[in-house]
Amino acid sequence: MRSEDRIFQALADPSRRAIFESLTRGEAGVTDLTARFDISQPAVSQHLAALKRAGLVDRRREGRRVFYRVEPAGMKPLFDWITHYRAFWTERAGRLRSLLNRMDG
Amino acid sequence: MTFTERSAPSQTGSLAFELDLPHPPAKVWRALTDPALVGEWLLPATGLTLEPGTAFTLQAPPQPGWDGTVQCRLVAIDAERTFGMTWRVGDLDTVVTFTLAATPSGTRLSIVQSGFTPDQKRNFGGARYGWRLMGGRLTDLLAKLP
Repeated sequence: MRSEDRIFQALADPSRRAIFESLTRGEAGVTDLTARFDISQPAVSQHLAALKRAGLVDRRREGRRVFYRVEPAGMKPLFDWITHYRAFWTERAGRLRSLLNRMDG
Repeated sequence: MTFTERSAPSQTGSLAFELDLPHPPAKVWRALTDPALVGEWLLPATGLTLEPGTAFTLQAPPQPGWDGTVQCRLVAIDAERTFGMTWRVGDLDTVVTFTLAATPSGTRLSIVQSGFTPDQKRNFGGARYGWRLMGGRLTDLLAKLP
């Protein structure tokens, strides 16, 4: 599966989106997240695992507690698409201009 | 000639450009639709006719994991005004639309590529959300990456 597909699949679930959105405001532990949402702790853990597989979040351990945070590079595959095509059309516009100058009438 | 990017921050799923060209619409139209001329500025075209619905390909240089073929279908045509085609590369299923408008100095050409989302219905909500975030705070985070 391509990285874009994993990202879109991870974000297709509204609960996972809510958890991800919550993490964009700062690092949080599983217990904190469970308290914020009406979802069981195992379900929260599963959502976090899916987000981690997609590369959207990272985690660190502190004793027995695990903290999750947004991995900013996770969205990079989407960003790269747009960057690639922006450069493509900018270059093509230059070529079109020079072609028109060479054409008759 | 001016070349302006018009992509609205809220529309991160699409790219939009505007070009002011000192040439009449009929001439710009030829450059956009004559396969021999399309090959000179965009990409070499195979099977391009102006019949609505026609399927054709554009050939980019092959890259690792991609043979370089762009699968296209003519989805909108209005002579000297609109030329719309699907632009498919693997899961990337977008639409590219050229729109021409006569101006006192020539032609204003708009190029829009829209639909930067995989063609998978179940992922649509996620894709939209992903692109909305791209226009927001995650873009700021990305800017800070090495």
